[in-house]
Amino acid sequence: MNFMFRHRRWFTVALLAAMAVGASACGAYPNSTFNHTTDFNTSIDSLWDKLLFWGTLVFIGVEAALIFVIIKFKRRPGGADPKPVHGNTMLEILWTGIPAVILIFIAIPTVRTIFATQAKAAPDALQVEVIGHQWWWEFRYPEYGITTANELYLPKGRTVNFALTTVDVLHSFWIPQLGGKRDLITNRTNYLWFTPNDDLATQALNGFCAEYCGSSHANMKFRAYTVEPEEFERWAQHQARPAVFPASAGAAAATVGTVSQAPAGAMEIAMEGGDAQDSLNAVAAAVAPAPMLEPYEFAREQLPAHVIPTTRLPKNISFDESLLAQGDAERGREIYSRSSCIGCHAIKGNPMSMGVLGPNLTHVASRHTIASGYYINDAKHLALWIKNATKMKPGSLMPAIGIGERDLVLKVDVTAARGGLTDPQIADIVAYLQALK
Amino acid sequence: MTATTLPAADHAADGHGHGGGHYTTLGLDNRKVAIWTFIGSECMLFASLISTYLIYKGRSIKGPFPHETWTEPSTGKVFPAILDIPVTSASTFVLLMSSFAMVLALAAVQNKNLPKNTMGEKILGSSKLWLWVTCLMGTMFLGFQAFEFTAFIREGLTIRTNLFGSSFFTLTGFHGAHVAVGVCWLFSLLAIDYKRGLQPSDAMNVDIAALYWHFVDVIWIVIFTLVYLIK
Amino acid sequence: MATIAAAPPYTQTAAESSNTGLWSWLTTVDHKRIGVLYLVTSLIFFVIGGLEAFLIRAQLAVPNGQVLSADMYNQLFTMHGTTMVFLAIMPLSAAFFNFLIPLQIGARDVAFPRLNAFSYWIYLLGGIFITVPIFFAVAPDGGWFGYAPLSTKQYSPQINMDFWVLGLQILGISSLAAAFNFITTIINMRAPGMHLMRMPIFTWMSFVVQFLVALAFPVITVALVFLQFDRFFGTNFYAIGAGADPLLWQHLFWVFGHPEVYILILPAFGLVSEVLPTFSRKPLFGYPVMVYSGILIGFLGFGVWAHHMFSVGMGPIADAVFSLTTMLIAIPTGVKIFNWLATMWDGQLRFTVAMKFGVALVGMFTIGGISGVMHSSPPADLQQTDTYFIVAHFHYVLFGGSMFGLFAGLYYYFPKISGRFMSEKLGNWHFWLSLIGMNLTFFPMHFSGLLGMPRRTYQYDAGQGLDLFNMLSTIGTLVLMLGTLFGLINLWKSWKSGERASSNPWGAPTIEWAIPSPPPEHNFDELPKITSRYPLWDLKGTVIAKETTVAEEAGFVQRSAKQLGIPMPNPSIMPLITAAGVIFMFSGMLFTDSNIVLAIGIMITGALWWISALYNWLMTPLEDAH
Repeated sequence: MNFMFRHRRWFTVALLAAMAVGASACGAYPNSTFNHTTDFNTSIDSLWDKLLFWGTLVFIGVEAALIFVIIKFKRRPGGADPKPVHGNTMLEILWTGIPAVILIFIAIPTVRTIFATQAKAAPDALQVEVIGHQWWWEFRYPEYGITTANELYLPKGRTVNFALTTVDVLHSFWIPQLGGKRDLITNRTNYLWFTPNDDLATQALNGFCAEYCGSSHANMKFRAYTVEPEEFERWAQHQARPAVFPASAGAAAATVGTVSQAPAGAMEIAMEGGDAQDSLNAVAAAVAPAPMLEPYEFAREQLPAHVIPTTRLPKNISFDESLLAQGDAERGREIYSRSSCIGCHAIKGNPMSMGVLGPNLTHVASRHTIASGYYINDAKHLALWIKNATKMKPGSLMPAIGIGERDLVLKVDVTAARGGLTDPQIADIVAYLQALK
Repeated sequence: MTATTLPAADHAADGHGHGGGHYTTLGLDNRKVAIWTFIGSECMLFASLISTYLIYKGRSIKGPFPHETWTEPSTGKVFPAILDIPVTSASTFVLLMSSFAMVLALAAVQNKNLPKNTMGEKILGSSKLWLWVTCLMGTMFLGFQAFEFTAFIREGLTIRTNLFGSSFFTLTGFHGAHVAVGVCWLFSLLAIDYKRGLQPSDAMNVDIAALYWHFVDVIWIVIFTLVYLIK
Repeated sequence: MATIAAAPPYTQTAAESSNTGLWSWLTTVDHKRIGVLYLVTSLIFFVIGGLEAFLIRAQLAVPNGQVLSADMYNQLFTMHGTTMVFLAIMPLSAAFFNFLIPLQIGARDVAFPRLNAFSYWIYLLGGIFITVPIFFAVAPDGGWFGYAPLSTKQYSPQINMDFWVLGLQILGISSLAAAFNFITTIINMRAPGMHLMRMPIFTWMSFVVQFLVALAFPVITVALVFLQFDRFFGTNFYAIGAGADPLLWQHLFWVFGHPEVYILILPAFGLVSEVLPTFSRKPLFGYPVMVYSGILIGFLGFGVWAHHMFSVGMGPIADAVFSLTTMLIAIPTGVKIFNWLATMWDGQLRFTVAMKFGVALVGMFTIGGISGVMHSSPPADLQQTDTYFIVAHFHYVLFGGSMFGLFAGLYYYFPKISGRFMSEKLGNWHFWLSLIGMNLTFFPMHFSGLLGMPRRTYQYDAGQGLDLFNMLSTIGTLVLMLGTLFGLINLWKSWKSGERASSNPWGAPTIEWAIPSPPPEHNFDELPKITSRYPLWDLKGTVIAKETTVAEEAGFVQRSAKQLGIPMPNPSIMPLITAAGVIFMFSGMLFTDSNIVLAIGIMITGALWWISALYNWLMTPLEDAH
């Protein structure tokens, strides 16, 4: 017991030293798995500490013995041949037994942690539906009637329960800073839950797809923002509403449009959720004149470097940036609403735009990245993306739209007859999308 | 000077000069050891196929189904339970009996040189007869299977229809392919028998074919039980 | 009782020296020559797999690398894994199975010499079949694990994955045929007195491996048949629209895939268990335990497959069970490590290059083993799986373990194979650069993985704290390539003009060292009678082992099989022709979509081709009548 205790203490000292180094390097390793930011990764990390401790012990023991043997028993010239020892039962029992005992020290906390972390999530947990697509993430908050893409907002101190599904191949949902990963399996629903600590800083974190899923597997990222509960409420309430457009037109007109559309939209989403209570809540939330909160989004200027994509632009595509200044949001809305865009994208508040194959664009301008965390969300990247997504992201299933472009996935040239758009038209659409705050 | 010497085995153990019979550790023919190894491996093959069938049982999202009727929602067309147990029982019986004939064929080859006096001894001692019977019964089983498959396809179940169709046709098709290989193997032995007569020295070649044949037979019993009989 | 004198580099008889043309290689059924064919072929594929790895590392050297396109990267990592597993390490082990097993058990050949040749030709042609597409940028791109539904036609409509499905089916035939052959050989062709518990430990480990192959390969065959049927005939095994369960593929794949890990490592364990005793001049410590632990590892290897699937959501009970069985495997593996240490303890260690690689295996495999235990714990694995931590783990096992063990075996057995030593000088370069290179390549991956770098990603953003680790890994790859280059140069030069080796240049204990180097066609002039585990060692006197020298063996003339009246199997071209027919038949499937008539035509032609070749083969006696 005493032996164990001393080891524990020694280990604690080493651990503290390591944590000090880790803390100073926190900014340096923004996707580190050694965190205590949630109950989930706290239990994983304490398990990891045990594994590391015993692993290091065995490592040092074996390698030291090996080096000792190498040096000590190196053949000396003229040395007599050694005694032919064939084995030693006691020794062999001993070194069968020792690893077995060490494994018990690992196995018991392992099994405990398995059952603790895979228990059913608390019933009042925030439900988030995560739906994998090649190669982007759809996130739904059925409680709030929100459908968004590639950016997650998580309130601190509240358990969040992810229901993981995929519409195509397998993916894996992973936010290394918050906990372990869980696969998205076709024709199955998986669950993963954790509770971000109350005292967590408001921060932006990287999320990844960790299961190989084809051409752009590397480019299937997302962002997670851990925010104050109050900030989360503001964000959620805003996201649940239809897009406020046109921003410049009379606010009253916009509000009227909003209110008349809201219940239908909310109802539709709630029905998909399939839970009667949820649907009632959602309708209630949409119909009842809840106090209007100031919309919230993670401040763009506070984004840390590690969530800003550094993707290089492909060389074989360009867009005249001077056109972007001339883009007109109202014109853009019209062009968008009769273009092929609406086949895949939905914008709540735009009755023409009801597609479900692509990301929901209702509040696209409130997101900080596009193309699943692959580019920053600004006019230039949006324009290039719309012009030819297949050049911008390998294998992209969003077809090229710019006239004269080659669609690398469908292997066709885009023409006006095929519904292609000119650069000025794309600039208008960009203006429209940028207005969807 | 040489550093190392090995004692040599007794000459009797050495691999030559004994009419082609090589020394083996177990005294068994290599072919016999190999066929058992092969059968062990084949068990894993069929275990995987059967497991898949069982895992997918009841998971098809549309019919036809093996043991239940199914009404197509869009057309209202009714598909009866697809498996025809009486017919398959008959084919199972044929395959079982073929194993019996195989035993007699092997015995006939092994005892080729024994005198045959009575009519009964002549019949029992005819390797050609029993090989023919085994072959024909194997072929008959394949005929049953061909009939079964075409009937299913007519009734609306193909290998592409649903999970049941895919796993059923692949499992039973693999078994059928094994039977077909066995039939070809036995016909080859029959051809040799006609050409120069199978001798007791050929018994090992018949023996391994027989082992394979019995294995294919046993596997069918498992398939018949798990796929056809158990609902 | 007669005795056989051990024997030396001998003067070849006229009949044998004429027997070296290309035709003799194409028709050979000699297990030693087939072993050499395996050796050379697998090393060529090893180089190809290494170059693929180099391109991968070049792409990842800096953030947002621009060397490769995403699709090319995906093809390369798929082919790197497939090549190294199926075309490099397994056949390199097979080179040793072929060359050594008959020699170690005192047999004149394997049980079925022509089947053995057939295995090789299938491997060679199948290897070419699956490798050639990379040069046309149409190589498989679904990962070496080929997870459904990504590998189905719906999500991989191109020809790429067809090559993979068919290629693996073809290679499976080779492995299975070889397994039946070696199991029969080891069970039934041991020399008199070679009881199971007297068998050299390499043969023992190979024996276990053959059972793993015989029992694991049928499972992946079935998984691949399903995928093949899905892709070509529109069945529903992995069709998500029909309600299929993608986990079916994962279970079938890993029921094969985990035993496969032991198929890759146990031969290396066996080789090292030969090398360490010889160069320590001590018997293997705890031989029975080494045997039983090998069997136990093989046995448990079938009960741990789902530890590759902790993140798929099997539920806590399955996770716990597979976690515990996985941890159990650490025990027999640990015993092996300790027994190797005890073998060297109090020995007279002679650090030849072979010994260095052997000792390095003990050191490096330990690291891979420890990280293995780390992800046997499912909650911890949820942070580790599909990251570079796993990449680090299995490269310590497969490079630091399998490859180092196989290199140890190569340096150790090269004198027996060729009659010449490999250069110790070049060998030292090879060893030290490999050791440094592999640690530099793979150790940083532990960090990049735990610091959040997913696997199979062709790019990573700057500012993620991963730049240094990736750069180190890439530099390590260059060192590793340089080391391998030294190894290849060594092999080439030594083959041509290495120093002559005697029959037992290392003073080794097992019977393959009692016959000349290289061994005569018939291996043993007379079958030996085995009376102990270490027939060439005197374990009672003060000098245990005695190296033989070329000088003392001068003048020995090896008599040929013909002179000795030993019947030898006739060469036959039929194994090659049969194998070619099989490949031809499979390649027909590639045209199923584009031209169904052509496809069926090729398949029928191929089938008739190999079936008639097979009949010809079976109807021709192995040996001349005598």
